[in-house]
Formats: sequence, structure tokens, C-alpha cells
Amino acid sequence: MFARILTQNPNRLSLAQCLFFLAALGVFFSFTSPYFLSVSNINNILTASAVIGLIAVGATFVIASGHIDLSSAAVMALCGTVCAWGLQKGEWSPWIALPVSVSLGGVCGLVTGFLITLTKAPSFIVSLGMMSIARAAAYIVSHGMPIYGLPDNVITGGQGAIASVPVPVLLLLTGIFLGWVLLTQTKFGLHALILGDSVFAAEATGISANRVRLKVFGVAGLYSGMAGVLFMLRTNAGDPTAGQSYELIAITAVILGGANLFGGRATIIGTMLGVLCLGVLQNGLNLLAVSTYYQILFVGMVLLAAAFLSRVGYRR
Amino acid sequence: MNGLTLHHISKSFGSVDVLKQITTHFDAGQVTAIVGDNGAGKSTLLKLMAGIHAPDEGQILLDGEVLSKRCPADHRRRGIDMVYQDLAIAKQHDVVTNLFLGREITRRWGCFLNRAAMRKTAQRELDRLGITIPDLNRPVGVLSGGQQQAVAIARAVLFNPKVLLLDEPTAALAAREVEQVLILIRQQKQQGRVVILVSHRLNDVFAVADRLLVMHQGRIKLDTPSEATTLAQIVEHIVG
Repeated sequence: MFARILTQNPNRLSLAQCLFFLAALGVFFSFTSPYFLSVSNINNILTASAVIGLIAVGATFVIASGHIDLSSAAVMALCGTVCAWGLQKGEWSPWIALPVSVSLGGVCGLVTGFLITLTKAPSFIVSLGMMSIARAAAYIVSHGMPIYGLPDNVITGGQGAIASVPVPVLLLLTGIFLGWVLLTQTKFGLHALILGDSVFAAEATGISANRVRLKVFGVAGLYSGMAGVLFMLRTNAGDPTAGQSYELIAITAVILGGANLFGGRATIIGTMLGVLCLGVLQNGLNLLAVSTYYQILFVGMVLLAAAFLSRVGYRR
Repeated sequence: MNGLTLHHISKSFGSVDVLKQITTHFDAGQVTAIVGDNGAGKSTLLKLMAGIHAPDEGQILLDGEVLSKRCPADHRRRGIDMVYQDLAIAKQHDVVTNLFLGREITRRWGCFLNRAAMRKTAQRELDRLGITIPDLNRPVGVLSGGQQQAVAIARAVLFNPKVLLLDEPTAALAAREVEQVLILIRQQKQQGRVVILVSHRLNDVFAVADRLLVMHQGRIKLDTPSEATTLAQIVEHIVG
């Protein structure tokens, strides 16, 4: 009965696989390190996962609609750098700098979506172009150097905690909730998934593929903007080199969470489980003092395993 | 004038003239079958009526009103729905989602989905049409070919269209499923809809059609009531 419920719904099967993997990692690391299950370490895992988590929520929409966005981490770096520049050099109020930076991410996303629609080129190529442009813009704004010395009230706000929950985690939870509502409860979320499932079905039933694509990349850009601001708050700097290859880790998390890389199937809950799996894996390996080189190797192996399991689930 | 009117419709793709000056009228409560050889322009004509393609020249009128926006959303809103040869269904999504594709029932500012209402309406309408789908929550991709076809037809008639366009609705079906589709077509005719059917299966065509249009190289070569002709004569017109 349980097996039937799982195999009839690919989403449930993927979630179960991811949950099982997360539990296995949890059990393994709790036996191998006495610090793994401490409250402070769990807070560490969640805080460290917050930036990737926000990018991954945005990537979920993009992958759901059958596209790939390679520009998310570069846009994140640009938004963080612009925010730091505004706060430190431009003397902007945080109430202006933060929304402007997040919106900048949205604008970058809209431009990517618009160019895909205009040129009919694969999103892979267009977002690769946007990746270079956004990274270059971050270097230009910061003259290639991290911008330090943010106002105290911004740092206190960003690195503090509310009811013992770190602010980055609260921001991630808000981002997850909004992403879940958008993807599962609204017409926009459904149309993004339909676009990934069949462009012809979408267009034949009057759904404007161009409009949905634009919105999808706009939303992903906003999430990159939020991640950029969060990264800046955590590191107390606007770093133009921030988040190198974060876009690939975010895509790994989305696929690990059961999304179909070709579109049509993706869940926010699955993505978050994927982010947690990667966060727990990295944290646990750190606790065991495993070299960074081996950590990268493990992440690669997890992605391959996820790709394999995703195919198994899809066939059923 | 009630029904669908095509007025001097022409369409080219590059240097190929697919449709040349097509003028005709389709009455409500009548099934018209469009037949012809491959490349005769049948499917293009159907897609023009559905708003997928825009004509280069000419007008399409529904109940005397010109359809000027020329997009599927507007044509569906005005009451023209189509069942596509490849069904145009989202195979990873469930039956309910597919039935309401592009016309979801919403609440609160028109952007939040009302899944409960969609599910209830879907079940009621499928019962009305006599279509049995064992589990509305299953992805359409795992259903049989006949069931997928039934979902596509149900989607087209769910919102009581004035015009129902069907592109090869029986091409990939077993004999029993073909009979079900033909019954559905007759039901739509009895409900006073314009039904236009493109099919290569002439036996099915003669079983339901009141009128036959034979197309040849982008033009209407023969327009005849179905009882005034025979299968052999139609084949002769198609190949000749």
C-alpha cells in the first residue's frame, strides 16, 4: 500500500528518496561526531544553507519551467556588491539599499527571460552570457575588491537572531514559504510547471509561454537578489567573487529534491530537502576534518546518484 | 449568421502556399469532415480556426463577428476549442489540471488556484460526458491512449464551446475507443455545436459527418453532403 502510494506519484517517491538520504546522513554523522546533533551545529547547518537555499528556491522555478539559469550566483554577487556599495559609499539608507539590490536581481532575471524569448536561444547560453555580465558588473562596481565597513545597524540586524532563530534562517524560511505558495497555490506556479511539461500544451490552451518565462526568470532573479543581500549581511562585505559555482550547487539541490531536469516536475519541499542534504553532508565532512577536495568529490557523487534515482522514479 | 465563416483565407509558410483563398461556412448542429491527402492543408486550416496560426489574408467570423486577435486564448474565450492530433496535454500533470489548462478556477484576485472546485467540476463533467477515468490524481502520461484522448476531448468540450475542432481524433485508438469518440462527436452535434473534423479514417468520417470537404493543394476541391457521395468517390477526389 505504502509502496503503491509512492510509486504512483513521482513527487512523493523523490521526496521519500531524499528524506531517506537525509536521515541516513544524519544517523551516520551523529554516530561519527559528538557535535553533530548539538543545537549550535544545527543552527550552523541552517545558516550556512540559507544563501544556497534562496538561490535554489529560484532555481526550482526555472527548472520547473524547463530551463536552466547559470547566472544566479553571479547575479547574487552583483546584488550584494551593489547593496554594500550603496550602504558604504553611496550612504543609502538600508530601507533603500536592500530593496533596490533585491529588485536589481529581479531586473537581471527579467532581462535573461526577455533575451531567451527574443532570441529563442537556449536558456543555458543566455544565462551564461548574463553570468559573465553580472560578474563583470560586480567587479566594476567594487573595483575588484570586497567592499567592507557596512553600517553597524545593518550588521547587527543581519547577524542577529529573533527568538534564538538566526536572521538568515528566518529569511530562508520566509523565502521558502513564499516560494511554496507561488509554486503550488497560484496560477503562475502551475503555468511554470506546465511550460516545463509541454510548451505546446501551454500555448495551445492560451497560456502565454513568453509571459510565464519572463515571470519565472524574474522570480529567480529576485531570489538571487535576496541571497546576495543575505550573503553580504553574513560576511559584512560586498564581495564581487562571492558564490563561485553556487549556481551548480543550487541546481544539484533541486535535482536531488526530485525535480525533472527537463521541466514539468519540481517541488519547493524537495529542493529544501536537497539543500539540507548538501548542507548536512558538507557540515558532517567538516566535523570529520575531511579535506575540501574530497568534499567536492562527495557532492559530485551525490549529484550522480540523484540523477540516477531521478530516472528510476521517472520511469515508474 | 450563426456558425463559423471563413472568408478568403490564405496562408503561406515561406514560399509554400498552404491555403489558397478558402471561403466556406460551417453551420451549428452539423458535423463537417475535412479530408484530403497529406499536405492538402487540412490541419493548417484547423489551426487557423483555433488561433494557433494567423491567416496571411482573409477573415474568420464567429456568429458574424470577426475574430481579430488571432491567438488561441482569444479563440477559446470566444468559444472555439480544439482537440489536437498530439493531444497537447501535460503528461506529468494530473487529469484535473489538464482539463482546466489555461482556464483554471481561481479565488482571491484571480491568482490563487481553487483545486477543490476544479476537482468537483471535473468529476461532474466527466460523468456527464460518460468518460470514466479511474483516478483523477494520476499523471495523464500513465493513462492509456484512449483515456488520454478522452481527457483531451473532455477539455475541449468542458466549457461548452460553440465550435469544436478535432484533428485526427480516432487515429491512434482501438476499435472500442473509436466508437466512444464517435458517440461523443454525435453528442456535441446534438447540443447544437459546430463540429469540424479532420480525419484520414474515412469509415469514421462517414459514420458521423453530415458534410464532407475534400481539400487538394490548399483549395476546397469538393463540398458535398455526406449522403450524396460514396467512400469510393471521396477516395477518387482525394487521390485525383
